[in-house]
Amino acid sequence: MDELLKELHELEEMMLQCMKCGTCQSDCPLYRTDGRESSVARGKISLLQSVYEGRIEDAGRILKHLDQCLLCTRCLKACPSGVKTDEIFLRGREILRKIKKLPKWQKLILKTAMEKPELMAKMAPLMHMGLKFGSKKIKDGIYRPMLPALGGRNVVEIKSEAFVKKYGGLNKAENEIMRVVFYPGCAVNLIYTEWGTAVVEVLRHFGVSVYVPETNICCGIPAASMGELEMFRNAVRANFDALAEYRDAKYIITCCPTCRYGLYEMGPKQTGAECPLEVVDILVFLEETLKVKIQSGVRGRSTIHFPCHYQDSKKELVESFVRTHTDTEYVKLDNQSCCGFAGTFSLKYYERSKGFSRSKIQEMKDKRTDKVYTPCPGCAMQLADAAAGEGLDAEVTHPVTELYEFLRKIK
Amino acid sequence: MLSKSLIAKFAEIAGKNVWTEQEDLMCYAYDASFGEMCVPEIVVKPETTEQVCSIVKLCCEESIPLVTRGAGTNLSGGTLPVNGGCVLLTTGLNKILEINTEDMYAVVQSGVVTSDLALAVSAKGLLYPPDPGSMKMSTIGGNVAENAGGLRALKYGVTGDYVMGTKFFDMEGNAVISGGKTVKMVTGFNLSGLMVSSEGLLGVMTEHTLKLVPQPQSSRSMLVIYDDLMKASVTVSEIIGARITPATLELMDRFTIKTVEEAAKIGLPTDADGLLLIEVDGHPAAVEDEYAKVKSICEKQGGKVHVAETPEERDRLWEARRKALSSLARLKPTLILEDATVPRSRIPEMMQCIKDITSKYSLTVGTFGHAGDGNLHPTILTDKRNTEEMLRVEKAIDEIFASALKLEGTISGEHGIGSAKAKYLESEVGAGTIRFMKKLKNGLDPKNLLNPHKMGL
Repeated sequence: MDELLKELHELEEMMLQCMKCGTCQSDCPLYRTDGRESSVARGKISLLQSVYEGRIEDAGRILKHLDQCLLCTRCLKACPSGVKTDEIFLRGREILRKIKKLPKWQKLILKTAMEKPELMAKMAPLMHMGLKFGSKKIKDGIYRPMLPALGGRNVVEIKSEAFVKKYGGLNKAENEIMRVVFYPGCAVNLIYTEWGTAVVEVLRHFGVSVYVPETNICCGIPAASMGELEMFRNAVRANFDALAEYRDAKYIITCCPTCRYGLYEMGPKQTGAECPLEVVDILVFLEETLKVKIQSGVRGRSTIHFPCHYQDSKKELVESFVRTHTDTEYVKLDNQSCCGFAGTFSLKYYERSKGFSRSKIQEMKDKRTDKVYTPCPGCAMQLADAAAGEGLDAEVTHPVTELYEFLRKIK
Repeated sequence: MLSKSLIAKFAEIAGKNVWTEQEDLMCYAYDASFGEMCVPEIVVKPETTEQVCSIVKLCCEESIPLVTRGAGTNLSGGTLPVNGGCVLLTTGLNKILEINTEDMYAVVQSGVVTSDLALAVSAKGLLYPPDPGSMKMSTIGGNVAENAGGLRALKYGVTGDYVMGTKFFDMEGNAVISGGKTVKMVTGFNLSGLMVSSEGLLGVMTEHTLKLVPQPQSSRSMLVIYDDLMKASVTVSEIIGARITPATLELMDRFTIKTVEEAAKIGLPTDADGLLLIEVDGHPAAVEDEYAKVKSICEKQGGKVHVAETPEERDRLWEARRKALSSLARLKPTLILEDATVPRSRIPEMMQCIKDITSKYSLTVGTFGHAGDGNLHPTILTDKRNTEEMLRVEKAIDEIFASALKLEGTISGEHGIGSAKAKYLESEVGAGTIRFMKKLKNGLDPKNLLNPHKMGL
């Protein structure tokens, strides 16, 4: 316990910056739904302070409150005092995790996902089969598993072959202008493999050769969000070592903003190591580096869900990408809150997380949009579940897939 | 600790919206003021007025202190449960009940967030003028209870100027209705007036009827930069003296400019000694005329005038001002914000006093404020763990308030008295006033259960 208090005390200087002004309330998706201080950053910081100042004896009790955080970083961006809420909460979870260990089975799954990536890829066919047999098909690619533990969630199909198995190695472009590494992340590797295909093929079309790592090592964010920060640090270091091997690549491209956040923002902060290359989102790369000009001719009414970890400064770029590269009528979503997926949040608190995504689907229904673009696979899974749950026959996809479809047609 | 049977009674009223676990209670042991934590015994979030009534009655019968809390953004310790007891959250009462564009009023529940109301009203082409710095979080009930001011208070007044009616429960649980929807109404005591600035000491408010006004047709915003803060202060008095009432007239000193710029990165001039943010609004012709006059007064005092060309530019300026307070918290662990206010013509004298006191006690102080209405926020940056410095801080605060009173000002322009300023109240209003307030409070709440000890009552 003394050791734990000492570790919490190390967060004191960071936490003292919080003057409890409450600005975080206006942006916190959780607070906006329940109006409770334990949901919002100011409250969580007070709880941590109450432990090391001796007002709460049983420190394990506050873990559930720290745990109920989307890590969406809205409070971090809104805080005028510059309180590093994301670092405080990740570290706070790690410290408290020492008292309240993760259940053994959860730790085993997490360890497998983090430390045995080859095994994960090999298990893909099994998971694929398991899902098909143990579920009811809702629509193409969407299943409702019969397992009661999943609470009636509609899940996106796990593919029978991992993306890296098919694309691992160098995918050379004709008339090569540069080389990049594509970091698919777990969701694209096992579920949205078609996004990965689209990224690689679109890049090749524009003369960019793409390295795809033979093994996909998880970015580690799921471990961090469950309080296993050391596991996260190990994943980050393993990734940095593996990515450093691509000496002639100019960038690391990703189509998952959470992976980018893990490798490029939180990773270096938590490990002190530097990512060997700049990590750039695929849409930002296409717009800013390659400056692609192409109109795909897709029709319909579309909208965009912006992921929490997408760079704020690039959100307009996503809008302009959708406007210029598709022919859809773009309608902005008023509800710009988190979708509720939030790493492991949706797994732990499905009922609560469902509310966030379903309200977005309701707005899509009201605005008669039949397509929602999101540049994040986690958000896509959450929105696909909500659309199936609310009976909205809308397509949920990454804008880059449209470009790929179009290029395929004109070839 | 409340007994199990008593907790069960609360649960009977508010269902699952009742919390007594240590960690839940700790989340309501503070507000945005500087002060020690005070832990309540129970927290309850009613969602109907009937539930509020039952909770009040239960607290009365069982002699449980009752503290009403909205967003808890108040800066004077007004929502600290100093005697433990029950914290009643109004965040569950968050409905805008009516926006009437014909008669220009809105009826809202106490827990409605101020900016939610402002946006809903503006969508209907009207304006709800009070705009406290905390408007994105704070609630209407809290605004009324603290009589919150804001950046537009100079021309449009404070929250209290917009309260047409209020519904509340007294400590016995009686429903009290005051005021209403007519422009003129003189029925009985002005009880809604009494509830304004009452800081939760007289009853639990649930509903408010608020006056709305037409949106100004035109506005102009300016950022004026000075190489000497005193010249900025003189400009303020000169503008008011020239019979011009801008909607907003805000002042920031060098120290605040630097920190805000660091936090908001909007391009404020960090080498300036002081700046004014000015907005004139109204009929387009009047705006142009006033703008020209204000500009020439500013320039006469050596101010460099920059006009916001786009609405986005204007919004950025205002956002920066709203964040001034919390931006200062970046620099030191403890931040003590004061609310000293003087008649507008005496701003330069007050600014000089603050400067002198700061150097006398060698403290770090950032000063910003609603200079146009005389409301200054000298903000002391310190570290509460440094006991020696805290002694100097306390002396400095005593002197700041003494100076404000000497200049015929007040110890609180908009943040209320709460627990933070209780000890200074008598020096402003005198013993007779305190006795009157005590008698009023005792008559309505003989057991002193409603937000006890605030304002020293």
